[in-house]
Formats: sequence, C-alpha cells, structure tokens
Amino acid sequence: MNKNTENKTPLNWGAMLRQASVPIMFIIICVICIPISGLSANMLINEIITRMGRNAFLILSLLIPIMAGMGLNFGMTLGAMAAEIGLILVSDWQIIGIPGMVLAAIVSVPISVLLGIFCGRILNQAKGREMITSYIMSFFVNGIYQLVVLYLMGSVIPIRHASIKLPRGYGIRNTVSLLGMRQKLDNVLAINVAGVKIPLLTFIIIGLLCLFIVWFRRTKLGQDMRAVGQDMEVARDAGINVERTRIISIVMSTVLAGLGMVIYLQNMGNIATYSAHSQIGMFCIAALLVGGASVDRASIGNVFLGVILFHTMFIVAPRAGAYITGDSMIGEYFRVFVSYAVITIALVMYETNKRRARNASGQRLAAAQKEDEEKTAGKEGEQ
Amino acid sequence: MKNKRRLIFRIAALAIVLVIAAVMFVIGRGHTMYFDNKEIEYNGQTIGSYYKVNVELNGKEVARLSSGDRGMGEIMGQSLKMTVIITDEKDAKPHAHKISMSVPYSMDGITINIPALMAGLPEDAYLSEFEILAPAEDEEGTDEANPDDMGTEEFEMGDI
Amino acid sequence: MTESNTMKDKIAEGLKNFGVPRLIIAGFLLLLLIMAPFVGADLPTQISNIINRFSWNGILVLAMVPMVHSGCGLNFGLPLGIISGLLGATLSIEFGFTGGFSFLMAILIATPFALVLGSAYGWLLNKIKGGEMMIATYVGFSSVSFMCMMWLLLPYHSPNMVWGLSGKGLRTTISLEGYYNQALAGILQINIGNISIPTGTILFFALLSFGIWAFLHTKTGTAMTAVGSNPVFAKAAGINVDGIRMLSVIMSTWLAAIGILVYEQGFGFIQLYMAPFYMALPAVSAILIGGASVNKATIMNVIVGTILFQGIVTMTPTVMNNMVHMDMSEVIRIIASMGMILFALTRKTEASR
Repeated sequence: MNKNTENKTPLNWGAMLRQASVPIMFIIICVICIPISGLSANMLINEIITRMGRNAFLILSLLIPIMAGMGLNFGMTLGAMAAEIGLILVSDWQIIGIPGMVLAAIVSVPISVLLGIFCGRILNQAKGREMITSYIMSFFVNGIYQLVVLYLMGSVIPIRHASIKLPRGYGIRNTVSLLGMRQKLDNVLAINVAGVKIPLLTFIIIGLLCLFIVWFRRTKLGQDMRAVGQDMEVARDAGINVERTRIISIVMSTVLAGLGMVIYLQNMGNIATYSAHSQIGMFCIAALLVGGASVDRASIGNVFLGVILFHTMFIVAPRAGAYITGDSMIGEYFRVFVSYAVITIALVMYETNKRRARNASGQRLAAAQKEDEEKTAGKEGEQ
Repeated sequence: MKNKRRLIFRIAALAIVLVIAAVMFVIGRGHTMYFDNKEIEYNGQTIGSYYKVNVELNGKEVARLSSGDRGMGEIMGQSLKMTVIITDEKDAKPHAHKISMSVPYSMDGITINIPALMAGLPEDAYLSEFEILAPAEDEEGTDEANPDDMGTEEFEMGDI
Repeated sequence: MTESNTMKDKIAEGLKNFGVPRLIIAGFLLLLLIMAPFVGADLPTQISNIINRFSWNGILVLAMVPMVHSGCGLNFGLPLGIISGLLGATLSIEFGFTGGFSFLMAILIATPFALVLGSAYGWLLNKIKGGEMMIATYVGFSSVSFMCMMWLLLPYHSPNMVWGLSGKGLRTTISLEGYYNQALAGILQINIGNISIPTGTILFFALLSFGIWAFLHTKTGTAMTAVGSNPVFAKAAGINVDGIRMLSVIMSTWLAAIGILVYEQGFGFIQLYMAPFYMALPAVSAILIGGASVNKATIMNVIVGTILFQGIVTMTPTVMNNMVHMDMSEVIRIIASMGMILFALTRKTEASR
C-alpha cells in the first residue's frame, strides 16, 4: 500500500495539470471572449448568479453516482421528466407559488424513484458501460414520457385547463406557462447587492444539499458507495450488497435531479414540454466537467467552478461570435460544439487514465512478483 | 422488532408527506380575481357604479377602476383580503374599506362586482365565475418529422 | 413477393436464436402488414415504401458491421462518416458536376475525407479500448456541431446551395434536383402497378454487402473477426490488433459516407447542420433488431434488421392513423428502437476485452 502512494507522487504534478487543463482552457476562452462580447461586469455577474441558482442543484445531483463508480449519470433526465410531469399536473390544478413547487416536488418524487429503480436495474445488467446505457435510457424514457404527455394526459389523466391542453382534446401544448410560480422561490429573501440580485433562499437550499452530500459521504451507505465505486469485487467480498447500493445511488440522483428541475423551471417560468429535459443532462454534465471533475472524481467545488466557467462561456460566446464573424449563429453553434467537445475530452482522458492505471498496476504486480521471487531466491540462497 | 419500527416510521413519513401535499392544495390554490366597477341589476334593484375604485391586495394596488372598468389580480389560498378605496363622485373624499372573505375552491377566475359587494347583496349577486377562453392558436405537439431523426427534439438550445 | 417469403423463412429459421424482443418486433410488423388492408391502407404502396426506404438506409446499417466485427462495438460515431459524405456531396455540387456524374464525384471526393477522418477516429478509439461506444457517441456529436460552424463559414458559392439573401453559408436542406436525385434508383427501375422497385440502389447495396462479406472471408477479414472475438488470442497469434481495428473503423466511416450519399439520392435532398446528429441511432437499432449483438453482426442481420425497422417506420403511421386516428408512430418508434438498443447493451458479451 505504502509503495503505491510513493509511486504516485512523482506523477502528481503532471496528473494535476491534466486535471486542471479543461478549467484552464475555459478560463482562457472566457478571458478572450468577455471583452469582445461587450457585456458589462454587472450584467455578467447578474446572469451568472441567476444561472448558478438555476443549475447548481441539478448539477449536484450528478455527484452521487460518480461516487458509486457509475460515471456520469446521463439518466438524470429521468428525474427532469418526472419533475415536468409534476409541474404540468400542478399547473393544471392551479396551485401556484411555493406551495405549487412543493406539491410538484412531492408528485415528482415517486415517479423519480420508480424510474430510478428501473434505470438502476438496467445499469446493473450493463456494468462497465453504464454511461452509454444511461444515455440510451434517457432516450427510451423520453419515448415513454412523450407517450404519457402527448397521448395519455387529457385522455386518461384528467387535464382540465384548455390553456395547457392541445386543441385536439388530449396531449399537452409545446409550452406550459408557470407564470404563477415564476421565480417565486428566487424572490423570497432575495437581496440586492450593488445591482446584483441574489436569490438567497435558492442558495440556502443549494447549500443544504451540499451539506447533505458532505454528510452523506460519511454515512455507512456513503462509505459503501465509495467502496463499490473503487472495486465492486472487493466491496462484495466485504459483505456490501453491490447491486442494491448502485440502485440506491441512481435513485438518489434521479430524485435530486427531479427536485433540481423544479427549481430550474420555476426560474425559467415556463416548461418547454418536449425539449426542456432533453438538453439538461448534456449541459449539466458539461458544466461539471468544465469545473475540473472527471468521470470517476467530482467534488462540490467542481460544481460551482463549473457553473461559473461554463455559463460565462455560454453567455459571452454568441455575442463574441457575432462580433467576430458577423453571424450570431456561429456563436450559438460554437457553444454547442464546446459543450460536446468538453465531454468528449473528459471521456477520453478518463479512459486513457484508466488504461494507464491498469497498465501501471499490471507492472506493479509483475514487479512485486519479481521481488517476491527474488526474496525467496535470496532466502533460498541464505539457506 | 426493528423492522416493525422501521415500517411505522415509513408510514408516518408517508403520512406527513401526504398531509403536506394536502395543505399545499389548500394554501397554494391560485385564483385570478377580476374586479368590476359596473352597474348591476339584482332582483329589479339597480346599483350604480362608483366614480373610481382602487383595489389593493396585500398592500399593493392591483387595479384602478373608473366607472365601467374591470381590473384583475392574483391571489393564493382560499381567503381574499383586499382594501377597496372608493371615490363616490368626482372630487369627493375617497373612503377605504377592508374586506376579507373566502373564495370558492373550484373557481379559477372569479369576478367580483364591487358596487354589489358594497351594497351588501348576497354572494350570488356579486360573485361569478369568469372563464378564460383557450388561446385559439393552432399548435400541435409534434411537427411533421422526417422518420429518420428518431423524433428526438431538434436542436433547440434556447436558454439554460 | 418473394421478399416477404424469405423474410418469413428467416423468421422461422431464426426463431431459436432471435430472442424475445426481436420476435415481438417481427410479430408486430407482421400484424401491421396483415391489418393494413383491413384499415384501408394500400398494401402495395406500403410494400413499395418499405423497399424504397430499405434501399436508402441499407448501407448506413451496413456501416455498423466492420466495427462490430473488430470488437469496437456499435458505431455510435456514424455521424463522422456522414459528414465525410456530406462534404463529398456539397463539394461535388460546388465544383459544378451535375446529373448522375455528380454522384460518382461525390463518392470520389468523400473518400479521402472518410479515410482521413476515419484514421483519426480509429487512432482515438485505439487509445480508449473498452470505452468505445460512449466516446464514439460524443465524437459524433462534437463533429456534427463543429461542422455546423463550418457549413456557415466555408466559402461555398454555388447559388443552389447557399442562402439566397446573404449569398453565403449553406442552406439547411439542399435539393438534389438536377444533380444526383434518384441517380441509382432510376437505374433499371421496375414498376408493377403501385410497386416500384429501385433496382439500381438495391444492386448497389448488394454489391457493397457482397464486398464486405467477401472481405470478411479474406485473411484480413478473418483476422478482424479474431480481433473482435478474442484480442488477447489475436495478439498472441501475431495479428496487429491496433492496425486491424483502425482498418475496421476506416471501413465503417467510409461506408457511412457512401451510405448517406445513397440515402440522399433516394430522399432527394441533402440535409445539413443538425440533421446527422441522431442518425446513428436508427442504424444501430436496425442492426440490433436484425439479430446482431454488441460484438456479433452479419450481413443477414443488416438485411433483416433494415427491413424490419423500416417496415415498422413506414407501417405504423399509416395503420395507426387509419385505425385509431392517433399518430403514435413516433412514440412507438422511439420506444421500440431505444428498447432494442437497451436490450442489446444489457446482454453479457462473450468476448473479453
């Protein structure tokens, strides 16, 4: 054991630099783009604070599966869909304000739990390719979501209000207004610091989630999850129910993603019924990775750094792009490209590191064996 | 024994959540209030409108109504607490009235005729349901899509 | 008509190794075919549609085969090959080629792009053995979004392709009228009543399929299968594992480039920007429906899978619409195809890495 750590130390600087490469790249992009975009500091900070309140909860939901070694949970969209169903129902019941949000959250939780269990079971069958499976899973459940929202709502599930129902009598409109809920959470305890609106209550909730995650890491279950994440076989030998632990981690992530989506949508003030969830997973994952997280290691710090850097890029890129090329679409495409490229780079780095680690451990094993042999040979020689 | 206690805890937790949900249903119910300052006839009795009426909800003015006007405001929960500031005639001194009443749960849009209310007429005189007609825009859930694009949403970036 | 006969034979023959989900899908398609006349849909038109759509999509599905064989998994990076094809197509038009000749030129121009992009892609996949599918997906996404910028920035001038108003930047859809619209389909086309069979396209597909089949039986081809089924053994046997994997990726990419060109000549339009984004998914689910798994795929899987998948895509809207006046086809398509991919991903693979 001691030997391992000793072997690692000389590599540390290189590894750290590699890990920081994505954030550094983003800092450079931001530093170049901010002056070109011509946004005032005040406006930029305002935007970033808004987006942090909007997205941080969602991104935090990704941390738990990473802890359990299941990689980036592309299945967080499942929770987002559950939240959307909750919000659609609540807005049909005309429950508004914070009570509406609470009720939507209560409705979304059982749906999230069921979807999470389903997703966790499937992922247990696809060990080693959790990410692609959870990714396809999000598409599959999107199909089911469309079935429910487009065909069952209004025909099987009662929907009273014509304002959210399609004219044909069933199915939900492309956009559902959440006017009665819009920024109701953000406006409670909102404070204004030099023209920057800070949604204090939202941040308090996010802070509580952070505390929860810190606490959870220390619980028995959290420790089990980390053990499972390190090595499933070892964990199993230690008497941990690996499958169950993995399912719990996915369920927790899905539920948190659902709650996060409620916060996200109350800030937006309307639901794009058929597309709000589809990009959420991608952007949250990109933001987390931009913050310096990797597929197998992510901290709360990564989340906040990621939100700041990623969203700064997101805000300034279209303007900077429009300024440089004279075409606003370039910037739009640029930020999409960057989001995908970041995920690609992070995945590639993860896989190469994994391979390197595997090779290194192989070499160590060989070296240890050799040493053993030499020892025994030496002993034999002594004798 | 441990299992039993666990079960009890779970049931209790579930019950609490359900109670919270039920409370939310009551306190979070949103109503759109419409305030009319219009002449009204009730049982052959005609009540004239006021010169001007200001309506305040939670200390915030939501409507300023001349004779024949309608204004609106949003309330949450089942009780309506409003302040009506009435000016009877031009240049007359306005007088304020605090009014609190409960509103029917099942109505989304509620119209209140202020002259009728002030005249002390029964509920069916001053309170009526106002139904908003559905927006008539022609909207379909899914567009005519190329069968090969999997129906996964077009790349709508929007704001995140 | 022999078409459906062989299909039935295939289903009967494959009952054992087909697996439940495949059976359900085949049964569903059969049900749709039987119901079609009763709900007032014109069966010959439908069959003609299926054959046509099969001919458009066949090669894109075929592009899965080499990579599956070499153990690189399902090629979720198909959009990369499609982009090579799109570059070929747009450049061919830009250089002023017209008619059927432009199709040939498009293939010729697309080929070097496919080779270069395929090599880079193959090199990357060799670096990250074991995580191919996820990274392939994101390589596809990144390249599509990168090309979105390029379509706007590259100096195209052909008035048939650029936006009329600004005179620069390619349009999202480009009509192939006057270029290679129906270039292959028009060859030896057979019209019987309502059925029209694009013989040329099918022959082209058959040619490429035969090429792949023959290749898989050469020395290199068997080496590829060996690499896919047991890389350790293959390495021990002196096979250049990385080289073979690279070759398979290049082949897949090139086939995807050709595939999209064939698709376009049938469809009649070039679709740019976000259009290639999710194009890998139908192809992946088609080959899986045909009986392939993450590490095993044959030409037969391609043919059966494409027919089944396109059959469902074509039949569900018509039958559903006529029956319940509710077009649920899209939802059914998503659930069925994604369910199929999920099913395949959860199967245990025999090969070890």
